[in-house]
Amino acid sequence: MASNGKIVLGLAALACTFGLHTSARAQDNMKHEDGMKHEESMKQDNSMKHGDTMQHEDKSRTLETGTFHGKVHNTSGRATIYQEENGKLILRLTNFKTSNGPDVHVVLIAAKDAGDDANFLKSNTERVELGKIKGNEGDQNYEIPTGTDLSKFQTVSIYCERFNANFGAAPLEKF
Amino acid sequence: MSIPISTVLSHKKLILAVSFPVVVMAWWAFRPEKLWINQKVNEPAPFASSSDPQPLYTGRLQGQAHQTSGRATVYQAANGTLYLRLTDFSTSNGPDVHVVLGREEDENLKQEIVKGQLDSIELGALKGNQGDQNYDVPSSVDLGKYDAVVIYCERFHAVFGLAKLEQF
Repeated sequence: MASNGKIVLGLAALACTFGLHTSARAQDNMKHEDGMKHEESMKQDNSMKHGDTMQHEDKSRTLETGTFHGKVHNTSGRATIYQEENGKLILRLTNFKTSNGPDVHVVLIAAKDAGDDANFLKSNTERVELGKIKGNEGDQNYEIPTGTDLSKFQTVSIYCERFNANFGAAPLEKF
Repeated sequence: MSIPISTVLSHKKLILAVSFPVVVMAWWAFRPEKLWINQKVNEPAPFASSSDPQPLYTGRLQGQAHQTSGRATVYQAANGTLYLRLTDFSTSNGPDVHVVLGREEDENLKQEIVKGQLDSIELGALKGNQGDQNYDVPSSVDLGKYDAVVIYCERFHAVFGLAKLEQF
């Protein structure tokens, strides 16, 4: 019986080694880019003959995303950077919440992350200004200046200019 | 000895004259009323096209028993169906590897090898150990409860990798 067990173990080990050395690569497309579905929708469009314009495929890409953290000013939500078809970069905040305050801005900072006590003036952290915050709650979009190097500016910060306070930061990761 | 009434008045005026700008300055600097006044906005996505799948949850895959990396995102298609999409995905190949949804706080998922009975929802056998891939998610699944994507070797109960899903 013991040798039986050994054989089973050996086979398992063999299966593992073979399994570990070969790679199986999958390549699914996003579902809305699926050729089949596209054809179907085209057929539908033709059959309707309403002269409706075909809806253009959305070519905007999601580049990076990250979640906000910030305890002192209770900042939460998600920051995502999209690239539109024309190359323009857009930062979008969703499920977003921070505390209201004076002269609060959305900035990109040249850092991997930022804590609640971060002082960008003292640490001489480079910033890219995206604009005054539109609201302390809710979904909102900000344009990112063309030529911004996202490999350098890796974190979104909700930044109170008046008191040089970091309300919250979202380190971005590849989507 | 009594201070003439006019001096008292002028003192008061002086105090007022000094304190008023100070109060205004302090108010301007701190805007304390903003502590209880919220400004809510609701902008649509810049590329608004409701016919596109909308991401609901996303998370980064982390290796556990085997090196695993990439992103797991749950999308909702225009017709309401849910699917999981793995991107930049890489794990080790193995026997009988499946993609399942589990509960992130499940103690079973904290170890490399699951000892007990794993509370999970099967999404299908792993299509490839590398590359982008989609899996249908049953619409009945409570993604608030099953909030982790697990790359799971059914044969050896090994947790290859895991992604905690967070609201998109």
